[in-house]
Amino acid sequence: MDIPQTSADPVTEKSVLLPAQKPWKPQSASLRWVMLAPALVVIGATILYPLASSFVTSFRDWRLINSPTPGPFVGFDNYARAFTDANFLNSLKVSGIYMFISVVLTLLIGLGIALLLSKPTKLNTFARTLLIFPFAVAPVLKGYSWKFMLNPEYGVYAKMIGDVFDPLKGYVWLGHEFSALVAIAMSEVWGWAPLFALMFIGALGSISPEINEAAKVDGATNFHIFRKITLPLLAPVIYIVALLKVISAFKMFDQVAVMTGGGPGDSTQTLYFHVFQTAFRNLDMGYASALSYILVALMGVIATFYVRTLMKGD
Amino acid sequence: MQSSVNRSSSPRGLSPLARKRLGQGVDIIATLVVIFFVMFPLVWMILAAFKNEIDVYSSRLFFQPTLDNFRAVFASPTLLGSHTWISVLVSFLTVAITIPLGAAASYVLSRHRFKGRDSLFLLILITQFVPAVVVAIPFFNLFRTLGLIDTPIALVIVYLSFTLPYAIWMLRGFFDSLPVEVEEAAFIDGCNELQTLRYVTLPLVMPGLIVAGVFAFISAWNEYFFALILTKSDSLTLPIAIQTISGPRGPVWEQVSAAGIIVMVPILVMSLFIRKYFVEGITVGAVK
Repeated sequence: MDIPQTSADPVTEKSVLLPAQKPWKPQSASLRWVMLAPALVVIGATILYPLASSFVTSFRDWRLINSPTPGPFVGFDNYARAFTDANFLNSLKVSGIYMFISVVLTLLIGLGIALLLSKPTKLNTFARTLLIFPFAVAPVLKGYSWKFMLNPEYGVYAKMIGDVFDPLKGYVWLGHEFSALVAIAMSEVWGWAPLFALMFIGALGSISPEINEAAKVDGATNFHIFRKITLPLLAPVIYIVALLKVISAFKMFDQVAVMTGGGPGDSTQTLYFHVFQTAFRNLDMGYASALSYILVALMGVIATFYVRTLMKGD
Repeated sequence: MQSSVNRSSSPRGLSPLARKRLGQGVDIIATLVVIFFVMFPLVWMILAAFKNEIDVYSSRLFFQPTLDNFRAVFASPTLLGSHTWISVLVSFLTVAITIPLGAAASYVLSRHRFKGRDSLFLLILITQFVPAVVVAIPFFNLFRTLGLIDTPIALVIVYLSFTLPYAIWMLRGFFDSLPVEVEEAAFIDGCNELQTLRYVTLPLVMPGLIVAGVFAFISAWNEYFFALILTKSDSLTLPIAIQTISGPRGPVWEQVSAAGIIVMVPILVMSLFIRKYFVEGITVGAVK
């Protein structure tokens, strides 16, 4: 399977924002706006409108249980409340830990798969074809399948782990704080790591075999080759991939809802899950809007890194 | 000196040929481990869908396959058929709006030169970073007022918030990769811009439209967060409907797995078709 190399690929291409070709004549200005308008209207209505609306709501007191219409403006109260709210601070911490676990696991397992499948044998080529499958599976199903396999009574993974390591027999994976978070991460890593492996394999393919041969002749061990040749050449891909995983980890919601419901206690209440609860379970719209704007700010930081990477090279 | 060279070239006294064989064996085992990691959760779920209740909880590998679980989920109370229809409707409508609008906009963003073009494109890219909750809160309240909660239309509207910017972003790349010379030739031959677009550019960019369409379809089909908020009973999409398959002991795994097959098989087939573009598509679109 070959890795596509069209201009939208930020890993191989310098910049997608560069004008790609010489200007050409048939550019009707009226046609331009007729063709742009429908998309811009839809984007305005589905993103800019809610963005503005949430912003206004974030300064109001609006509990849907008390009133179907927005209540009075309360200034920065909702924002101030967030920074003393133990539940919100907890979800910041949970999301932070979750991000770290899932980024590290995805990178390690993705790199591992890439190195194991790097030789172009027939079996490996076949295995590479399978790598896209887990990612395409709906997140809800990822959650269900891992929850099923980790069930302490009849889960097949739980049994395998118990057979290999006896003290873990019957361990309730989703019932303990840290292992529940790792289990959620694994259901994600299972989808992402194979895909990242494909990107790594693509990047590894660009390393010419002569370099490795020359290094071996000079007496380098495999570990040396990995550290001094493979890893530096993979570094740009690893950077982009880590960023993507940070973004996806930040948004973790589906598997939390399916696998743990935020529990045990509040130990797997990620940011998205917490804001969801505030808005649609506690129906505290004003406060939830403020929280979601804090998410916008956090996401803005990540987005800056991402956009900068995409635009690098011009 | 002599011995150290020997040791490094043939460990444990194996001949070079035996070493090569051993290496190949290790490689094959490594590959099989990878295949197991990648495929086992899928295979296990597919197997569970064909097991009866007892076999599911015994986790045995050999069993008498049954179609009872599929019959059960399509019957009352789950009625998966109607949820499948909702999912198909919502996903197709989303694609049917996303692709024409996205293609028109990305054509202009690729071929035209005008002031503010790159800023506009950047703005569209950045919209993909807007967290879903921010979009969900106002739309939940708006749809509540308009009585659109629990309708397919509500889902299509919010799905456009992530499929359209994504499609524009992706299609722009496809338009950029087409050589302009072909279009210029058509123009010189007397086609106007619209005719050139209709008869030359669009057919050339067709693979891109299909790939972007499939990505939009997959993201609408698999979507969970908005569907959880905006549906109640009539318009449950498949990912939400699966949650209703539970008994006193929690999820009824064999039936959840049967429904899971309905959810994942169309998507797996589609991703196989566009697998050449998969990695790139994710890099561009994993943002939302």
